[in-house]
Amino acid sequence: MPDAPVVRAESGLIPDDTKFDIRLESDFGDDGQFALRHLEIANGTVRVTEANGATSFTIPIAEIKSARNEPLVGGGRLEITTTGGEVLPIISYSQTVAAKFSEAARGIEQLAKGQPLEINIKDEKVRCPKCDRLLPEKDGICPACVNRGKTMLRIGSFVQPYRWQMAALATLSLVTTVLNLLPPYIQGQLIDKVLKQGKDFNQLYMLMAGWLAILAINSVLQVVNGRTIAFLAGRIAADLRSAVYRAIEFLQLQFFDKKQVGAIASRVTSDTDRVWGFLVDGVPYLLLNGLTLVGIIGFLFYTNAFLAACILAPVPIILGIGAFFWKPMSQMFHRVGQKWARFHTQLNESLMGIRVVKVFANEDKEYAKFQDRNHELRDAGVSADTRWYTIFGAMSFFTSLGGLICWTVGGTMVMHGQLSLGEFWRVTAYLGLVYGPLQWFSQVNQWFSRAMAGAERIFEVIDTDKENYRPEGIKHEIKGEVTFSDVRFGYDKSNPVLKNITFTAKPGEMIGLVGKSGAGKSTTINLICRFYEPDAGTILIDGIDYRDIALQDMRRQVGVVLQEPFLFNGTIAENIAYGNPEATLDKVIEAAKAANAHNFILSKPDGYDTMVGERGGKMSGGERQRISIARAILHDPKVLILDEATSSVDVETEKQIQEAIQRLIKGRTTFAIAHRLSTLRNASRLVVLEKGEIAEIGTHAELMEKQGKFYDLVQTQSAVQEIIGIGS
Amino acid sequence: MNAADLQLFYHPKDRLRMTVGEDRSYPTVKPVWAAPLSHPEKYLSLLDGKGDEITTIPDPASLPAASKVAVDAELYRRYLTADIAQVIHAKTEFGATYWTVDTNRGRRDFVTQNLQENAQWLSPVHIMLIDVDGNRFEITDKTALDTKSQEFIAAIL
Repeated sequence: MPDAPVVRAESGLIPDDTKFDIRLESDFGDDGQFALRHLEIANGTVRVTEANGATSFTIPIAEIKSARNEPLVGGGRLEITTTGGEVLPIISYSQTVAAKFSEAARGIEQLAKGQPLEINIKDEKVRCPKCDRLLPEKDGICPACVNRGKTMLRIGSFVQPYRWQMAALATLSLVTTVLNLLPPYIQGQLIDKVLKQGKDFNQLYMLMAGWLAILAINSVLQVVNGRTIAFLAGRIAADLRSAVYRAIEFLQLQFFDKKQVGAIASRVTSDTDRVWGFLVDGVPYLLLNGLTLVGIIGFLFYTNAFLAACILAPVPIILGIGAFFWKPMSQMFHRVGQKWARFHTQLNESLMGIRVVKVFANEDKEYAKFQDRNHELRDAGVSADTRWYTIFGAMSFFTSLGGLICWTVGGTMVMHGQLSLGEFWRVTAYLGLVYGPLQWFSQVNQWFSRAMAGAERIFEVIDTDKENYRPEGIKHEIKGEVTFSDVRFGYDKSNPVLKNITFTAKPGEMIGLVGKSGAGKSTTINLICRFYEPDAGTILIDGIDYRDIALQDMRRQVGVVLQEPFLFNGTIAENIAYGNPEATLDKVIEAAKAANAHNFILSKPDGYDTMVGERGGKMSGGERQRISIARAILHDPKVLILDEATSSVDVETEKQIQEAIQRLIKGRTTFAIAHRLSTLRNASRLVVLEKGEIAEIGTHAELMEKQGKFYDLVQTQSAVQEIIGIGS
Repeated sequence: MNAADLQLFYHPKDRLRMTVGEDRSYPTVKPVWAAPLSHPEKYLSLLDGKGDEITTIPDPASLPAASKVAVDAELYRRYLTADIAQVIHAKTEFGATYWTVDTNRGRRDFVTQNLQENAQWLSPVHIMLIDVDGNRFEITDKTALDTKSQEFIAAIL
């Protein structure tokens, strides 16, 4: 065992007033319990201090060879390798702070190598400074403290273009409400002033004519009202969907990595529905029913305060039931929604994989899974509906109680002559208008909250960091030199996938990227496409940091042919011209010929107008591939990326695709990943990646001669192919 | 390899080492569960320093007692999953669920989002919660928790 040059000190070597190079909080104690500890680096020393301030570990940086974040399940551990070769795990931490510690490990290595400290540890907020709740996203918004007023104003901005229509809607609704209150009043008059005396037919007809006029006006207003709502709903919903979709289009790819497509799509559909539904249906409903309620209650008290108090006595009970049961009820309905989602996922999966199901004769097993989900959904639905009808029944009882009290108290008052029959009729008629909306008022808060939550999710997307589409970026005509300079990158910042990548591809060169799966080949390509940008180091195009080049301008000059090419639902011609929609059919045909696609296209009944189907499903793999090569040829990129472009086709098709690729790469800087290493024989140079680092660079011949990593890979592949050959 | 022949111990202090009978020794050994969710406490794989499998033990209880203690200590270090013993408080607000729980590693506050994806039901009683940062909290048997905890879980999940 090597000598351990480690100083384990009881008291720190770092004085208390020290300025730290790095000081980080960890959340796991030495015993694996949640606890506060610190990693401190200062004055050439790394140390760990406990919550009580005692130093539990110290090592001089001079005795450190390297440092790394060892990924654990649900967190990580900082490990130091000493100059004597001993590996020391010095501090564990949760996933919450793992990225910071990974950055600290890099810092320790820089200091150990005598380099200046160049790391980027952000001081992020994890709790809301206002309410101290944990933030769902570090440095993000606190959903509980989000300014409702501001959110409402932002929602309001979507109404702004239609303010006159909204004002008209509000006015119309107000008039309709007033008109709805008039018939009971007329009925009261009719009973007291006409029917009781039984002689004044003129007054009867006058009142009837008034009633008819109200009905007619009300009907017209309702039509106009409905049409206005339809106009506003359609337009506001479309505007919201467009705004969210447009924001999503420009988001960084990290956003799409973290979230499922379905969840993103729901922001465009259900979240926008919640918001416009609230704006167009909810707000007028609340205003109208609120006003109606206040007006009617006022009128009831004006008619007879005692009777009003009696018949409104069950109101607090109804509101109480609503408030008490609404939350568990909404949770139950939410659960039904979740079960529906699980049911859909299962159904989609088994239908999409129906061929596999049949091949394995697993129909019964899939049916059993389907039944599981189906029964889950049934049980959740039955449970929610059962409770709902029970609560609804209780509410109906108390609602009906209002009527019973009205007739008992009101009837007695009429019989004692304390209330006229007309007044009694009016009170009875208005009663229904009070109790109807009351049942739903307890949901208002929930309704409002759901709309706010939907709005916040929409604004979260709109406000999320976009890709760097800086308009002031340089417009640069790419010549084709691509340089990686000490590039480091990780999808999870605590776990870099690429480290210290440095090489230059000269204009027109073809660089083959080689390595085992997980070595970082696809990540290198993602960085070239600028789907992600390096965490450290730079990528230069023609000597310019590519982050300074306008993103869309840069991407227009980069072309990609993928292993599984994506075609959009449309014609073959449209797909070939995707990157260059102005291209004439002549140009499209020229590109298709170069891609060896022309002949198979002509064999289709509709030629270039053949529909490729959803995701190109009506084309074979080789056809899709050649269409995508034609698309790349017409796009005419300066930098071309071929990602396993020939891996899933038959030998004859592969030959045709290879020919097409040879034509495609002429004069372009090309980066190619190929499963079969022999297909990279013609590459100008090969970059061999191993565990995210460059293991070798050279031509095919040089690397074979060197008999290093590449040679090993080729030997392994040859051996495997031989075995497959024997096996077949 | 016969599990009874495996001697696992820490040497030096922080490195788990293994000797097999009298003839072989692995200076660095990483224990990992092969299927921790579907087969908890079974199928323990032992990897060497390069991450290649040395052996997989179907039933770790068959390890010598001292080896089992050392392996358990290393697993406790490598699996920072916390087992929830009690849900003190849980509330869903605006699409985020805020939890305060007591675990085998002490009390912890955490927040989850999108529970459809981040609350995995491994069996009708076994739940894995993954918080917004990727930390894991496990409820191995929800029926074994106190009534209040079960009510929180029923209301939220």
